[in-house]
Amino acid sequence: MIKFELNGRPVEVDNPPDEMLLLVLRDSLKLKGTKYGCGAAMCGACTVHVDGVASFACQMSVSDVEYAQVTTIEGLSEDGSHPVQRAWIEEQVAQCGYCQSGQIMRAAALLADNPSPTREEIVDEMSSNLCRCGTYNRIFKAIERAAKEV
Amino acid sequence: MTMTMNRRGFLQGAAGLTFFIGSGGISSVRSEAAAGTLDVNHWLTIRADGTVQIVHPSTEMGQSSYSTLPQILAEELDAAWNDVEIEQLNADDRRYGNKLFGGVLYTAGSTGTQFYFDPMRKAGAQARDVLLQIAAREWGVDKASLRTEPSVVLGPDGQQGSYGELAALGLTDVTVPDVETVPLKDSSAFRIIGQDLPRRDVPAKSTGQAEYAIDVDVPNMAYAAVLRAPVEEEVPLSINDVAAREVPGVIDIVTVPDGVAVVAESLWSALGARGLLEVEWSTTSPFRTSNSEQTLAEYAAAVSSPDASGATWAEKGDAPAAIGNADRQFSQVYLSDYAYHAQIEPMAAVADVDADGQGAEVWAGTQTQSWTARTVSEVLGIPVENVRLNMMTMGGGFGRRTALMQNYVRDAVLCSKAVGRPVKVIWPREDDVKQGTFRPAAAQKLEAGLTADGKLDGWYHKVATPTVIGFFNPLRWDAVNPNDVISMRGAESKFYGIKDFRADHLIMDRHARLAPYRGIGASYTAFAAECFMDELAEQAGRDPLEFRLDLVSENPRGRHLLEKVAEMSDWHNRGDRNLGLSFAGYSSSMAAGVAEVEVDAESGEIRITNFWAAIDAGLIVTPDNALNQIEGGIVFGISMALSEKIDIENGEVVQSNFWDYEITRASQMPEIEIYVAEVNAPPVGVGEVGTPMVPAAIANAFYAAQGKRLRHMPFTPDRVTAALET
Repeated sequence: MIKFELNGRPVEVDNPPDEMLLLVLRDSLKLKGTKYGCGAAMCGACTVHVDGVASFACQMSVSDVEYAQVTTIEGLSEDGSHPVQRAWIEEQVAQCGYCQSGQIMRAAALLADNPSPTREEIVDEMSSNLCRCGTYNRIFKAIERAAKEV
Repeated sequence: MTMTMNRRGFLQGAAGLTFFIGSGGISSVRSEAAAGTLDVNHWLTIRADGTVQIVHPSTEMGQSSYSTLPQILAEELDAAWNDVEIEQLNADDRRYGNKLFGGVLYTAGSTGTQFYFDPMRKAGAQARDVLLQIAAREWGVDKASLRTEPSVVLGPDGQQGSYGELAALGLTDVTVPDVETVPLKDSSAFRIIGQDLPRRDVPAKSTGQAEYAIDVDVPNMAYAAVLRAPVEEEVPLSINDVAAREVPGVIDIVTVPDGVAVVAESLWSALGARGLLEVEWSTTSPFRTSNSEQTLAEYAAAVSSPDASGATWAEKGDAPAAIGNADRQFSQVYLSDYAYHAQIEPMAAVADVDADGQGAEVWAGTQTQSWTARTVSEVLGIPVENVRLNMMTMGGGFGRRTALMQNYVRDAVLCSKAVGRPVKVIWPREDDVKQGTFRPAAAQKLEAGLTADGKLDGWYHKVATPTVIGFFNPLRWDAVNPNDVISMRGAESKFYGIKDFRADHLIMDRHARLAPYRGIGASYTAFAAECFMDELAEQAGRDPLEFRLDLVSENPRGRHLLEKVAEMSDWHNRGDRNLGLSFAGYSSSMAAGVAEVEVDAESGEIRITNFWAAIDAGLIVTPDNALNQIEGGIVFGISMALSEKIDIENGEVVQSNFWDYEITRASQMPEIEIYVAEVNAPPVGVGEVGTPMVPAAIANAFYAAQGKRLRHMPFTPDRVTAALET
């Protein structure tokens, strides 16, 4: 059994230790908000927080997070009220929305680390997450909006 | 989840009004007074509690038709938007089919708002009229004395009836108005259209709650991963699955027409076991000799031949004669490579085939209910009515999910039938790239004449590329051959008035799997045409803007866009800023764009620093979303212009993931400024209009920067440095 903390609650899973964390979150623990996009650390759709650090869940095995704190989009807030989520809604960022959980998780980690980032810092940090619908400029604006509220 | 709400289940317990409108208007009115339920038309239901349920007939892939189309109906109904619930349509071509696509349920080509605007307005207007009649009857007043505020009818003496209350009172003595004569609102009275109501799906998409096909989870579900033939048309000849079957959790190994599927208790097991399969593939496919470099050379040779001609796509006057007689003649060849959709949700579907094999429930995100149901029907040999489809919101489409045969749905159906359980098939990213269906490679030759005073005198656009429709929808090709709008769109240059004009399609042999792609043909025909336009302007010794303005004298709306984008970019005072102009669009939506670029001559990298766009897409239903769509279209255009390229060697796709198929990232974003013209004209779509103008604007800006032409898209660093060395 592998134990870790998921969205503030202790969990135990008996998946193979080398199973991709992303699949364990999605298929065993049924948290579908974290997405599979590439499996190669290239798109960021699977971004979660591991001990507060934005991380690609497709690049970790479940045993990598043993005893760690993992936060997914479902754990970012109880009700979608995290400042980043509110800003995402205010700015109407999403189109297809598939990448947005990962974008939001990366943005939330950025603001936790750096509450008032410059545009350049925002662009730099968000460049690891792809959005094929091309919503990047709205993402930047949403992060700046959220930064004002934090 | 709203997207898959079961309409039937809801209707059973509901009291209220349901409208059934046939193709010729409302054809039947059914009253079930005992249950307190009134059924009138198929687009909406008004419940006694005031809820208005409106059908979304398209499928949602990010374009927001899920919100936009119901808003059109709600506007004419004069419903309060908060009272509206949206129901995703899963079937019924006859009543809801998109007539711009021959009456099938098909979401593509920026046609959703264009086609459904009228029928959904009329459906809303009819329902409103019925509510007025009910109120008039109840209150004993003249209908003409009534008016509505959102979701409420108001009488002359202070009477008030909410839509829900009135709906519960029944249709006695009510005449449903004729669909063709029902009065529609004047646009000045709009309360929803043209306002920036928030999209319905954005909160769920901002909290991880939106459910895509890849997220569907049904009881007892298994997972499948498919080892697919490396080259089109190859099949498995022999399979050694001994090791794969020993992997814990593996349920079965299932042979599908072009691959071998591992069905397992988890995707992890399925993927692991797939890696242990040993399959001997056939080696006789003619696609084994397919090489993209040779393909493009073949197309370029064909289009460059002095007497090249093809199926006429568009013609006016006599272009060859005009060019031949012109004072000066010019021609140029432009090339573009295969491109991949790169939608971030990989292909995924869940199928649950009935035990008797005579029906199936399927969950999928596709751009067509009709052809998805047809896929299941064909694979199982069952009537299409026995397919129970759940259309899921898509993690991007861009043309990827449009084919007549949806292969990943087919795989899920075959696996479910084999193991007797629901099965989810996911194509990992590498599968999606390797098994991709691409925008075709194309070679184009432009020929034109110039008058002595530097005006255009004849235009002949030849496009050498295969038929896309012939591959992705052969049934359709039988009907439209040789006119392939997917391959050719944009080559008609319809926004210019060119007296002697011709565009031909040289229908080439196909050497790869093909599909529509954002902007379809216009994504490359506008690249060639608008680069050539700039080259002609230079030959004529004229400003690229002035040269184009000659050609829009009969298109004042287009002229306005060109002038507007010149103003936005301060075109006339560009000084040493590297600006490039382009004027294109999609279908009837027009776009003028100016790109500003910086070029790193050392690395060959082009950076777009600014992009200005002026758009005319007719009436805009949802302005903020229109801006988001247009901006996304521009970003897509930047992406395909700079980096998107699929190579094929010996029939196999070379690229495999986002590390070798790069799409635009946040760090590459320019400032984007968009103007949308306010016009009194029908809506003609915003999903693709932003894309086609972009590559030529960049190439023309590159010329302003470096004095060299880029005639092969994408403008990769190696091509840029090569161009700089010429």
